[in-house]
Formats: sequence, structure tokens, C-alpha cells
Amino acid sequence: MQFRLNPRVILALVLVTTVLGMSLGAVSAQERVPTITVHSVTQAERPIEYETTRLVVENMRELGLDVEHRALSLLQFFDETWFSREEGKGRVEKPFQMTAWRMVGRPERSEPDEFTYNLFHSSVRDGGYNFIGYYNPEYDALAETQRALTDPAERREIICEAQQVIRNDMVNAYFLHPQTPQLVNTDVFNAASVVIQAGIGIQNFWNWINIEPIGEERLIITATTSNLNVLNPLEIAGDSPSRVTEIVWDRLMRTNPDGLPEPWAAESVVWEDSTHVVLTLREGMTWHDGLPVTSADAAYSFEAALAGTTQVDAEGNEFFRAEATDYYPFVSGITDIEIIDDLTIRLSLAAPNGAFETSTLSKLNLIPKHIWEPIITELLADDGADVDSIQEEIPIGSGPFKFVAYDVNEFALLEAHTDHWSAPKADGWLMNVLPNLEAMIGQIQSGEMNLLWEWPSDPAVLSDIAEANDHLSLFTETSIGFQYFAFNLRYAPFDNLAFRQAIAHVIPQQFIIDNLYNGFAAPADSFVSTALGYWRECDEPLRTYEFTIEGARALLESAGYSWDDEGRLLYPAN
Amino acid sequence: MNRGIAYYIIGRFLQSVLVLWIIVTLLFLLFRLAPGDPIANYIDVNFTREQELNLRARFGLDKPLHEQYVVYLVNLAKLDLGETFSYAGRSVLDILAEDLPNTIYLTMSSLLLAYSVGVLGGIAMAALRGSLIERVGTTFTLMTRAAPQFWVGMLLLTLFAFQWRLLPSSGIGPALVRYRWETEWDKLLSPVFWRHMILPTFTLAIYLHGLPLLLMRSNMLEVLDQDFIVMGRLTGYSESRLMIQHAARNALLPVLTALTLGIGYSIGGNVVIENVFSWPGLGRTLVEAVQESDYPLAQGAFFFIAFIIVFLNFIADILYSLLDPRVGASAQARLS
Repeated sequence: MQFRLNPRVILALVLVTTVLGMSLGAVSAQERVPTITVHSVTQAERPIEYETTRLVVENMRELGLDVEHRALSLLQFFDETWFSREEGKGRVEKPFQMTAWRMVGRPERSEPDEFTYNLFHSSVRDGGYNFIGYYNPEYDALAETQRALTDPAERREIICEAQQVIRNDMVNAYFLHPQTPQLVNTDVFNAASVVIQAGIGIQNFWNWINIEPIGEERLIITATTSNLNVLNPLEIAGDSPSRVTEIVWDRLMRTNPDGLPEPWAAESVVWEDSTHVVLTLREGMTWHDGLPVTSADAAYSFEAALAGTTQVDAEGNEFFRAEATDYYPFVSGITDIEIIDDLTIRLSLAAPNGAFETSTLSKLNLIPKHIWEPIITELLADDGADVDSIQEEIPIGSGPFKFVAYDVNEFALLEAHTDHWSAPKADGWLMNVLPNLEAMIGQIQSGEMNLLWEWPSDPAVLSDIAEANDHLSLFTETSIGFQYFAFNLRYAPFDNLAFRQAIAHVIPQQFIIDNLYNGFAAPADSFVSTALGYWRECDEPLRTYEFTIEGARALLESAGYSWDDEGRLLYPAN
Repeated sequence: MNRGIAYYIIGRFLQSVLVLWIIVTLLFLLFRLAPGDPIANYIDVNFTREQELNLRARFGLDKPLHEQYVVYLVNLAKLDLGETFSYAGRSVLDILAEDLPNTIYLTMSSLLLAYSVGVLGGIAMAALRGSLIERVGTTFTLMTRAAPQFWVGMLLLTLFAFQWRLLPSSGIGPALVRYRWETEWDKLLSPVFWRHMILPTFTLAIYLHGLPLLLMRSNMLEVLDQDFIVMGRLTGYSESRLMIQHAARNALLPVLTALTLGIGYSIGGNVVIENVFSWPGLGRTLVEAVQESDYPLAQGAFFFIAFIIVFLNFIADILYSLLDPRVGASAQARLS
């Protein structure tokens, strides 16, 4: 029998092949990963960060991604990243996807709680610093637990675990801790007396009081590029004013050069239980105007930071308007302040807080009640200006240096408070405002300036100067701060772990350190700097993400990603 | 005639006010509509929504734009430039009033130097027209006019302050001397202050002397061709007397006009020099304010500079109408 092609059979065949073809086509036509925008600040404002981003964007393209590098001036950058974290709620229509970011090192950040909690806890996703939208109940529990523990060793275990979770989840792609080069004139100071604070450098409290003049010049002379706009003990101003406030006003505790809290103006800090602490002041301390420092002053320092009024915003929501906006968050957990005797106070906390000694007791400035009570009472009555907008003509503290004079855009001049129980070795301290970096280099070489701590430019310049001048010694310390790429975890493609890990693999960490930073940086793998030895002594090392483009491609492939004919990356089938 | 001048002055005054209002409005909009939220400067790891509301309320940023504008205009009319964002509890006026004298001292001394050298140089160049000295001198002046101010400043700084250590490198005086100056007079009577002014003054003057020199030279050449000079020469006046008393006096008027306007522009234009020499003046505050998004201070500084320029223009116009009666008369003719 001859086989004949019946028209019906042909129709059936056509239909079957079409349907089969279409369904197969639907499987193979997977969706391309859409264009990704990576934000950074402009080249003019942060050249190294810009170049780093450019490099990483290039490498991301190697993965078959279409990537746009969007460089913006700082404030606009914040508008499109920090303020545009969620769809429909941002300043711009599209939420950010991936952005270069940095955290700067500050003394109080040697306590890991700040980063552990505020960078990743789900409660601060909407308006706080968890702008990447990390949400992991297991992590939340760790962040809360470490906060409640007061035993450092126990806390460290939890903090190690938290670092593991963040590293394994590739929440942020950390790549380096910058190293700040700094110079000291060793014709003026005994080099052995210089104190370096872990993760910070020479601009620390301990150095200011310990550095020892050996010749006729008895004054520490340094400089800063930005104005000293606020010298107020109730405001956490910028980096430069903080240099002044931390030595003019004393604190109950201080973070020591290793980054751990130790009693300072309080001779003893005794925890009765996890929510009650008794603080006893040293005897014989005086304010710079001669009056004694008493427990009433200490208690008032907390009360002032807690002061405020309830107000209503434009949309009719009630909110608490704190007088000391910056300090309020650090004292808000205090429920009761009790004066026990002339030198002793007792604080009650709403909940246990493992970071209390560093974040509150080592941070809050002791202020004289006789000066601030009248000011704050008046401010509360007329609810106009806030207390942090007050500038005393001659600020009065009880710290090792006292005020002589200052001019916001010229200088701050302090002299040793010789009655202090730990008086500085130098006779005084002077910080000039020098916006011109060339002038700064000139002055440190000529001897007009004898200590350089702030250098917002190429580190190699300073190391060359140190080599060319016998009287200058270079100090380099790895920062607590770090550089990283942050991902918006709320949306695809960054909601996928394998994808983020692949991106981490294409960051040429060592190349960036060697070439863009001229070696003045240390590799980073966590939000806790390697400079903070104590909190990095973990049982297990953190996972590494070596630089490998092939590795990244293999990782994507095993997670189901594939590439189309043009080499563009496609999402996994499901 | 007198009525004409009065009308003219009133007209000019109203014009100046209008110009200032436009400037003020533009300034307000420029800063508000430019991308970037000033609050971003305050973002910290411990930053909360509540803190953001706190800051907005404190700076008045929680109010709608038109309300902010009305508040701004009303305050301005009362000469209240507001409170700064970035300086603790200090008014804009307070900060600017502190900076203004330093800027004025620097501007005035460099203008004085530049215009004296410029006018005399211009006369000399005109007299030596065609000679080698004139060619070299004019080329040099053109070069100084083209050289970027910051570059000249750095060069002088490197040579005089760091290489030879003859002059101080920054500021208006070392802090250890400076803090004893209680009044403006203490500062002005201190030789230290004037020593600190030498380098920035020269840097500015090197740039500024070009305009009067070239202007003076070309005016001189024009005047020297005129009949009355030829007449004078025929009468037998000496060449130097002709140059100084007859030609230079006539050639000087446009240079004086340039000077009046130059004062205004220089006060606003010292930004670069003030930053190179860390001179605490208006220009430096302006840069800081823009960097920090301190709206009130930046607006205030720009307004201050605009006000000085508009005011000096107004004064120049009045002087003109008094010096040249035709100005007032034509105004009256237009009005009637």
C-alpha cells in the first residue's frame, strides 16, 4: 500500500509541530537580565571610588550584563540611592540597584554594635541605614542578642556569627579598608610617645594627651580642611569639630587605643544587673571655670540629652523633637537617672544593652549643669531653636584641654588644663583651618605645623614627603571604615544570592588596592574591620570571594542562568 | 533740570530694586530646585526617620515651597537673612559681617595696587609705543591676564612662603597672635595682618592690573591723535607735560568707570584666591556654604555680592548724571 499524504494528516502534523515548537520556544526564550545601573559619586568628588566603580562595571559586562555607570554629585547621589530605596516611595522613579558606598571610621565605630544593628536590622529598612532592604529574621535575632549581652566574650561569639551570615548572604560586597597616611614632626615630639588608636590613627584622644614635646615648641599644631562650624557638647558635628569637643569635654568612659571601653571620668562602672549601672566619679575634678564636677552634673548630662517636646509635623503626625537631636538615640534607652551621693549616680535601662559602655558612656560629653540648665530650660519653653544650635562664647568643659579662643573658619586654640588628673604633656593644642592642601604640605615641611592627621588626597604624596624630610615620620593605620558595593536586595536581579555572589567574584580587590590606592588599603571582607582585633577573633574564617570571571560565570550557570546568542545573561527558567 | 535728575535717580533706584528681587527669586529657586536634599549631609548610621523630621522642622524645610518663599522675602525685607544650617546658632548676617571686612581689605588693596600700576604702566606703554619695552610689557600683561589665578597663587606660595620662607602662607595671622585681636582696629594696626596680606594681594593685583593698563594704553593712543594734543604740541608744550596733564587726564575717565564696577566684581570674584590662601572672607564662606548645602548662607552670600554690585552700579549711574548733565536731561526729555 502506498502511503499517501492525506490533507488531514498534514494539517494535524502542522498543528502538532507548531504547538510543540511554541512550547519549546517558550522554554528557551528566557528573559534577559535587564540593564543594571550602578551608582557612584562623580570623579571630581571621589576619584578613586569612581575609578573602582568603572573597573567593576567593565567586569560585570564580561558576565553578559548590560551595565550603566551613573556618576552623580554627592547630594544627587543620595537622592537616587539612599532616598530612592523603594518603588513608588523614592525621590526618583526607579529604585537604585547597586551602588558604590563607604562608611568612614570614627572612634565610636570601634564598637561593633552600630554597624551590626543599624546596617542590617529589618526595623531600620524604611528610613534608617538598612537602605539595602536586608530582611532576615535569623540575622535580626543575632543583632538583638548581641545587644542584650554584657559579657564581651559571649557577645563576640554572636558578632562573629552575624559576620558569617552577612558574608555568606553577600549582602554587601566589601572590598577594602582605606589606610590613612599621617605625619608627625619628630623634631618636635618624641616618636615613641605617639599613640595610635586601632582603626583610627593618630587623631585620637590618647595621642593628644600623651604626645610628648622634646624641644622648645610645646604646642601641638595641626590643621583641618573644613570649618569648625559647631563646638557644642550636645551636637555630634563633623570630623574636625569632634577633634575639639572630645578633648574639651570629658566623658564617663573612653574607648581605649584598642577600641574597648574603659572607665575615665568615672572611677568605677559597676553593673548591678544587666539593666542597672552605678557610676562613681573621680574625686577632685573641676570644670574649666573652677567649679567642682559633681554627680548632679553627670546626671544632668543625661537629662539634657533626653530633653525635648512632642510636636506635630506637616502631615499631622506626632513626633518627639529632641533638643539634642544627635545624642538622643544614645540615651533614649535610659528610664531613670538617680543621684546617690555627691559622686555617684545610678542609671536604669529599659532593656539590656551590650553596647551601652561604648555607644553611650564613652560618647556622651559631661556638661556643667550650672551653664546648661538655664539655657535648656529657656529653649524648652519657647520651642524655637534646638540646644545643638547654641554656641557658647567660651565653652566650658572638664577635659584635659581648655578653651582659649576660636574662630569658625580660622582656628581653635586650646591650652592644657593643668588641674586635670591626667593633664596633657603638651602645653596646648592648635588646629588651623586650611582648605588648601598644598598649603598643608608646605606647612608640615616648614615646621609651621607639626602634626598632620587629615589627608583627603593621594596617600603616596605623604609617603614621599616623609621620605624626603628626616624630621617627619609617617604613620599608617588601617581604618575602621570600609568601601563596598551595596545591592538593593528588594528587587531582581539582586534578590538572588548566586547573582550577588557572582558580582562579588568580579571585584578585583587586590588590583584596586595596588593600583588605585597605591597599596594604601587593606582587603575587607566584613563590616567589622580587621583593625579591630578583638571582634575579629572568630573560630571560623569568613568565606572568601576570589577574583575570577570564569568562576563567576560558572556560579551563575550552576544556579540556572544562561546566555543567549549575543552573549547576554538570561534569568534561570523559573 | 534738577527734576530730571531726581526722576532719573528714582527710576534707577526702582530698577535696582527690581533687579535685586529677580536675583533673590532666582537664588531661592536655584537652591530649592537643584537636585540633592540638604538633609543628606546629616545622614549617619544612627539616622532615623524621627531625626529627619527633627532636622526638617528645624530648618523650615517641612513647609511647602511657596510658604518658604514668602517667609524668605518677608525676612529679607527686614534684613534678616536667616539662620545658617551648618554653623551653630549663628545668623547668616553675623557670619557674612565677619567675613566682609577681610574681603574688602584684600579687594581694596589689590585694586589700589593694580590700578596704580595699571594706569602708570598704560601711560608708559603709550609713550613708548613701538619700542621693544612696549612689546615685551604688553605681552607680559596679556600673559598675566590669561594665567589662572590659582596657578599664580600656588607659584607665589611655593616660592615666597615655602621655598624662601619670606612670607606667611595662609590666613590673616597666626592663631597665637590672632586671638588677642579683640576689635577690627587691633587687626588693622597689627603688622602681622599686613604681612599676611602681601601674597594674596599681589596674586590678585597681577591679574587685575591688565585691564586698566590696556585700557589706559588704548585710550591714551586715541587721545594722543586728537586735535588739541597736536595743538598743544605746536604751542610748544613739553612731551611729558602733554602726556600727563593733557592726554592722561582725558584717558583716565573710562578707567575710573572700570574701577567702580571692578570693586563690585572683585568682591564676588575672590573665591579662588581666598581658598588658595585660606583667607577667611566672603568667597571662602560661599564655597563652604555651597558644599554643605547651607541654603540660607549660600543665598545670603550671593545676595550680599549681588547687592554690592547693584549698589555700586547705582552709585556709578548717579555720579554719571551729576558729572554729565546730558544724562539727566535726556531722562527728563523721555519723561515729558
